[in-house]
Amino acid sequence: MKRSVNEIIEKLMAVAANPGQAVKAACAKSGKQAVGIVAPYGPEEIAYAAGCLPVGLWGGQVELKRVRAYLPAFACSIMQSVVELAAAGTYDELSAVVIPAPCDTLKCIGQKWKGKCPAIHFTHPMNRKLDCANDYLTFEYQTIRTKLEAILGRKITDEALADAVLFYNHYRAVMREFTLVARDHLATISPIVRHSILKASYFMDKAEYTKDIEDLIYALRRAGPENWNGKRVVLTGITFEPRELLEILEFYHVAVTGDDIAQESRQFRTDAPYHKSPLQSLAAQWQNQQGCSLAFDPFKRRVHDLVDLVRTTQADGLVVGLMKFCDPEEYDVPILMEAFEKAGIPLLCIEVDQQTTAFEQIKTRLQGFVEAL
Amino acid sequence: MSEINFDEMTSKQMLEYLVAKNMEDARQAKAKGGLVCWSSSIAPCEFCEAMGIYTVYPENHVVGIAARGGAPELLAHAERKGYSNDICGYARVNLAYMDVQKCISEEMPLPDLVLLCNNICETLLKWYENIAHTLNIPLLIVDVPYNHESEVTEENVAYVEAQFKRIIEQLEDITNRPFDYDKFEEVMKIASQNAKDWYDATALCSAVPSPLSGFDMFNYMALIVCMRGKAECGITFRKLKAELEEKAANKICGLKGAEEQHRIMWDGIACWPYLSHTYKVLKNHGVNMVGSTYPSAWALMYTPGDLNGMARAYTSMGNNLSLKGQIDLRESIIRDTKCGGVIMHMNRSCKMCDFLQHEIGEAVTSDMRVPITTFDGDQADPRNYSKAQYETRIEALVEMMNEQKREGGDQ
Amino acid sequence: MLTLGIDIGSASSKAVIMGDGKELVATAVVQAGTGTSGPKRVTAEIFERSGVLPEQISATIATGYGRYGVDMADGQISEITCHAKGVHFLFPAARTILDIGGQDAKAISINENGRVLSFFMNEKCAAGTGRFLEVMARILEIPLSEMGDWDRKSEHPAVVSSTCTVFAESDVISQLSNGARREDVIRGVHNSVISRAMALLYRTHMEPAFVFTGGVAQNSGVVDSLRRELRQEVLVSPQAQLTGAIGAALLAQEKADQKGV
Repeated sequence: MKRSVNEIIEKLMAVAANPGQAVKAACAKSGKQAVGIVAPYGPEEIAYAAGCLPVGLWGGQVELKRVRAYLPAFACSIMQSVVELAAAGTYDELSAVVIPAPCDTLKCIGQKWKGKCPAIHFTHPMNRKLDCANDYLTFEYQTIRTKLEAILGRKITDEALADAVLFYNHYRAVMREFTLVARDHLATISPIVRHSILKASYFMDKAEYTKDIEDLIYALRRAGPENWNGKRVVLTGITFEPRELLEILEFYHVAVTGDDIAQESRQFRTDAPYHKSPLQSLAAQWQNQQGCSLAFDPFKRRVHDLVDLVRTTQADGLVVGLMKFCDPEEYDVPILMEAFEKAGIPLLCIEVDQQTTAFEQIKTRLQGFVEAL
Repeated sequence: MSEINFDEMTSKQMLEYLVAKNMEDARQAKAKGGLVCWSSSIAPCEFCEAMGIYTVYPENHVVGIAARGGAPELLAHAERKGYSNDICGYARVNLAYMDVQKCISEEMPLPDLVLLCNNICETLLKWYENIAHTLNIPLLIVDVPYNHESEVTEENVAYVEAQFKRIIEQLEDITNRPFDYDKFEEVMKIASQNAKDWYDATALCSAVPSPLSGFDMFNYMALIVCMRGKAECGITFRKLKAELEEKAANKICGLKGAEEQHRIMWDGIACWPYLSHTYKVLKNHGVNMVGSTYPSAWALMYTPGDLNGMARAYTSMGNNLSLKGQIDLRESIIRDTKCGGVIMHMNRSCKMCDFLQHEIGEAVTSDMRVPITTFDGDQADPRNYSKAQYETRIEALVEMMNEQKREGGDQ
Repeated sequence: MLTLGIDIGSASSKAVIMGDGKELVATAVVQAGTGTSGPKRVTAEIFERSGVLPEQISATIATGYGRYGVDMADGQISEITCHAKGVHFLFPAARTILDIGGQDAKAISINENGRVLSFFMNEKCAAGTGRFLEVMARILEIPLSEMGDWDRKSEHPAVVSSTCTVFAESDVISQLSNGARREDVIRGVHNSVISRAMALLYRTHMEPAFVFTGGVAQNSGVVDSLRRELRQEVLVSPQAQLTGAIGAALLAQEKADQKGV
């Protein structure tokens, strides 16, 4: 008996609304241990192959108290939250955390992990188009594997890794299909719903989640395409939260036709290509990433890709959710502004601050933007 | 080569002459169709040097602008373009300069290519992306992944070394000539010798009293940044070393007239827009800044011809080390230069310098028992500094050092 | 031997005369700080009150933001060192000090001799300082001096932003318009101040005994908030606003002793 669209959406929204609870439930149900992967990118496949539940750590709306001792006010909002949550013990149930170092802030935070669980560090190579980058990242991934094995007290076999890589490619393909189908259902897959669906992936067993998305795609297709007479935008940035930001979009009858968000589409745009070994395959996936502010690219293809995305999804404009105090994102803004002006596409840049409690200013700016579309 | 007689010049005169000449040579070369490269401050200069490419350094250029009070108008230009004032002041000023090509300091020719090495920070990746993209020029990168463990891994070094091949390929492509391996060999000898000469000269800060104030060393730094691949650089530092040795023998203090009552380590980049103020306040208290991370930052020593060693040198630079590595570095500096206190510059422009300050400070306090003070400043943006704050913080530090002396040092 | 300690802050001027570095002979406070007539008035006042003549003072030390404007001072010492000394005098068991003044806040770790081991300050931002409380008191239409009394009545404290005074203002106004009780908002405001202060305190060794000084320490609501947050006893002197000046007077005594006056 196939589930209805609403049933699945309700389930996923409940997960997204209560990550901690969802992770606990998923671990209890599967008997798996949870391994945290700090934003933005980490080899979930390794944790998955280890028989663990990979959990995405993207901060949250938390009041900053303890973190102020460790970081000055101008550290990016998302990492302030992550450190606050770590210091508060929120992540102590995790068996381990994996921490990348694609920017200066993450390099430092990794070195001073305030949670109790063991931290495994790694660094992504940035000279990505060279073969030696694959060698280096493969070594880093191998190190993660070895450390995780030691923590968990069991081996992670090559077979399990190969299966995980293949499975994650399947999951990504399903996600890409979902974002395509969602464009024909902008009323049902509203900004809040869309975000919640994508966010839920970080707190559930991936196999179960993928099945939910597959079922959702089926149910949406069966329901037939919807009309949308409101405005359409593409979102870009690291995350597009808190929820109030999405509420404002909905309030002004704006739908999200596509995204270039690290927490969302950037996770599943790129597959792991075939390679001699699963870890090399994973390393190659990083090499093939394109369009993320954190993935070094002297040709800045993000700019061109975004113009493309707005055009192909027939969006009316681009909304940049600029993570507060995020340097890599900040550098891209002037380049984006120039390109979009040239392309004649409206662009709005708003600040994303996980600690915001006041939204009137953003509401006003968004309204102005929408009225001008 | 020049007709100037270096023998008759002091190291300071050589410094001024050479730094100016270096930029002038680049300008002239550009005018005649030669190639100019913009490079980050601790990137491998050996490759471009071997191919006769004139390399100039944006960070150093901005220092000159900021020190002369010329940053605000360029910062305003960058901000009008949409650059957040959260990002590095060096980058904002330079990206603005790239647009307007006018400043209060010397003129720097636009580049035909850029070279970066992210040992000092990852922000360079974005800054140089923007330069290359805007000017549509080739970008050469030596990516040195952050050394998150206490040891630098062989794999990290191997990855860095492997990238050298690509640099060579790109240079052959750009210049349409084969890579000059002979010249390269020569340059490696000069560069590693210069690194040694720089380190040996600045090591004289360990003498008591120190004949070299760290603030003077900041000025000499321009040479090791801009001319690390040239022989004159080493000549200057060997001369400086001799001058300092003589001063040290005569117990002459680098504070020029003031007595050295306290020795401190400066943690971070200089506060260039207010260099004079930061120096004077310390001098008035008899505080000599004898320790800093600068000497070791350019002490990129390797056996000429050993590319693996060269790769290791560049990836092991101070900022690219784990927290433990950074703590150890500072503790050895404090020990070697016999510091009684530390000033940590909470530099609004440099998150890499700031976000481990708390942990480094805690470790240093508990291991070395030296008092620490921090102050808010900026390497280029003059808006992020308060004279009153700095004065109060330094006073408190001096009072702490005095009381510690009175109590017999150790608690 | 009589010594004089003068503490010129941004919002108030304080003066203390001590005898032999052991007893408080006289004190004076004027609610006007540096750049105003405050410094002159507080000096005049303390001499008037005590009946002591300026010639009888063996040494004077000035501290605080306006310390360099005090003509009669024999020396200037930072408020960090002075607060440490002053607190140590009042509470020999003190090891961690939180000082919140009109425009800044600081946390100081001291040893058993009152020597400063480390200190952390915030003077870039109004949030978490006396200025913040002034702004809030105005919006709530309650005299600053009564905030502590109101706080006691709170049963369902509101949450007020601690990030920024402007945001907090919006928070408070919005909550009042939604019918929140003033005592609950006041407690929220007090908690907000302490939330900022904790950031500084967490950087110290957090060793008891904890002492709370500065003008804001006279607000019992803020003191209670600190006690709740620390889950420890917090010592407050009735002379909370004078610790800087007391320390200055003590250091003046040390100076006079050294000179062999």
